[in-house]
Amino acid sequence: MGDLLVDVVREAFTPTTAAFALAAVGLNFHFGLTGLLNMGQAGFMLLGMYGFAITVREGGPIWLAVIVALAVSMVFGLILGWPTLKLRGDYLAIVTIAAAEMVRYLGRSQNFNSLTGASTGIRGNEFKGPFEDLSPFPDRMVDVGPFAFHGTRSTSWWLILVAWVIVAIFILIFARLSRSPWGRVLKGIREDEDAVRSLGKDVYSYKMQALVIGGAVGAIAGVIWSLGASVQPDSMGRPTTFWIWTLLLLGGAATIFGPVLGSILFWCALVLIKGLAAMWIPDTVLSQEQLQPFSLLLVGVTLMLLVIFRPQGVLGDKRELAFND
Amino acid sequence: MKRSLGTRAMVRALVVFLVAAAAVTWLLSAQSTAATSQSASLTSIVTTDTANHAPALGSAAIADSIAVTEVATPEQTAESDAQSRVLQNVFNGVVFGLLLALASVGLSLIYGTTGLSNFAHGEQVSLGAMVAYFFATDQPVSIPLTPWEFVIGWPLWWAAIAAIVIAGGTGWIQDKFLWGKLRKRGVGVVQQMIVSIGLSLALLNFLQWWIGPDRLRLSKAIEVRHQVGPIQIGNITLMSIAIATVVLISVALFLQRTRLGRATRAVSDNPSLAAASGIKVDSIIRLVWIMAVSLAALGGILMALYDSGTKFDVGAKLLLLMFAAVTLGGLGQPYGALAGSLVIGVVVETSTLWLGPDLKYATALGILIIVLLVRPQGILGRAERVG
Repeated sequence: MGDLLVDVVREAFTPTTAAFALAAVGLNFHFGLTGLLNMGQAGFMLLGMYGFAITVREGGPIWLAVIVALAVSMVFGLILGWPTLKLRGDYLAIVTIAAAEMVRYLGRSQNFNSLTGASTGIRGNEFKGPFEDLSPFPDRMVDVGPFAFHGTRSTSWWLILVAWVIVAIFILIFARLSRSPWGRVLKGIREDEDAVRSLGKDVYSYKMQALVIGGAVGAIAGVIWSLGASVQPDSMGRPTTFWIWTLLLLGGAATIFGPVLGSILFWCALVLIKGLAAMWIPDTVLSQEQLQPFSLLLVGVTLMLLVIFRPQGVLGDKRELAFND
Repeated sequence: MKRSLGTRAMVRALVVFLVAAAAVTWLLSAQSTAATSQSASLTSIVTTDTANHAPALGSAAIADSIAVTEVATPEQTAESDAQSRVLQNVFNGVVFGLLLALASVGLSLIYGTTGLSNFAHGEQVSLGAMVAYFFATDQPVSIPLTPWEFVIGWPLWWAAIAAIVIAGGTGWIQDKFLWGKLRKRGVGVVQQMIVSIGLSLALLNFLQWWIGPDRLRLSKAIEVRHQVGPIQIGNITLMSIAIATVVLISVALFLQRTRLGRATRAVSDNPSLAAASGIKVDSIIRLVWIMAVSLAALGGILMALYDSGTKFDVGAKLLLLMFAAVTLGGLGQPYGALAGSLVIGVVVETSTLWLGPDLKYATALGILIIVLLVRPQGILGRAERVG
């Protein structure tokens, strides 16, 4: 029981949790502020990690790799937004989900094996080096209280520090932007597009800006995620996007700390459910390999119940619902 | 939908088809000249090799469709071989399109009557195949959270019918306890869409939990293949084509000729007006749900037979193809979904001639994006403001 508690708390600050929180911040620009239904956030993440990992592998410096990741995802956002932002909301949903899947199919295709490594992806030791060389922490396991992580390698204290600092920076940016005149226009678009248009604002351009910025934040999230694991196209499929949606709605869309709270609750709950199920439900009824689908089944049910009964999430304001038809 | 299949719409669909056909033949001629020029320079190579180097050119990976019968000169072989491969792929595409249409017609009907883009429709396809497997397999199966294992092992016909009935039941349950309630509460369409995403995630993982992650075979029978001209057709495929065609025609007749069908189209056109003229909108929508998920289940079963295997996530992979087909045909237009599915099916199958088979779904998604760019209302949709 004690071990499980440690595992749950540990999950609250792993780089994965930070990466998903950041991806949800990006989605918050789309959905929370502007009401855009981006169902392809995983595609933005995947493009970001490809941009980063390939640049580093080919010998580019880290700053260039980050710029490439941002640029690739921004171009992706522009291409996606161009045909769809003038159409009804669900068209954007269908196109983004299709485009994200297309990125995944192209990434795992044998045709681009030399560039993307096909379905095996890009292994960690091919692109993590320069980032890990920057680490000020020792190159061994470091225990802090009950939590043991490596100092610099892979899922390390160094990555945890960097990841959460980046999350904090983007939350600050989000908070400032959402209260700026620019953010108020986006909220206006969310509430009533025609009203904003009648005030002389270029709605299409504002939506495009939101889509591109949110996608770029998603790309950074992808980079953080890949630094903790590896570049793996199949881990960025549709379920990933749906998880990001679930945790954003759980924390509360259009709120400042909603994405972080949602991500922490989501990942801790997953670990807790798996731990408790393994402890209490006998193996004959629910075997070890059935635990994963079982807990993800609960994620799906949670998403449904949330949207039906508490669409504003934990932190949200019922008057500020981002659902708009 | 005043006249659901106007002449202009027909002409439009025909034009798209002709353009697609022209493109295919053009690419075919380009390919076969490339093949002949290649083989002309390699005349000394033994004739059996010509059959092997053509796939390297086009990287077509249909394993069992390479049938070399008679060999005269290398040039002729390469040409007729490439041609028969294209024909085979177009044929496979039409079959795939018909089976896809079974699923996407339902998706389109649901969209038309309720405005919901149902992201859980893919899982309805898998559900049909999985339940059919559950009844038909001679392996021990069990129900989740119960420790008992048992063997059912019904013949495939029975299993398929039971699966379709059960799937229809899930449609009824869904509409009665979920979608109907949401509509009554006035929950918005976007919110309902996200609910359907949650449902798809839940169903997908439920199926994996229940049936397991392995690839399954519905039928152990080995397919007898016939050679019809340049095309190979299996027995089971022929049966699937027949069933799919009959079902699709009866759906069309239902929509076109019966009172209920007319009421369905009325609801699809304008729900409030339909309600005002005495149509029970809610029961029509319930009927549409039952029909749509039964069709999806049938599609899943036939697809499992056609692919000679199925998996818990087969529908999730098809969902985007369905959306592509439905968007191509015009959201909410059942006949559009049919035309769109055929186009998507042919494109997906013929694309394997030029691109690797791992990219075949990507081409369909490319089409989806291009359609939205050029003609967002689809082939059969009316030109109206969709923004």
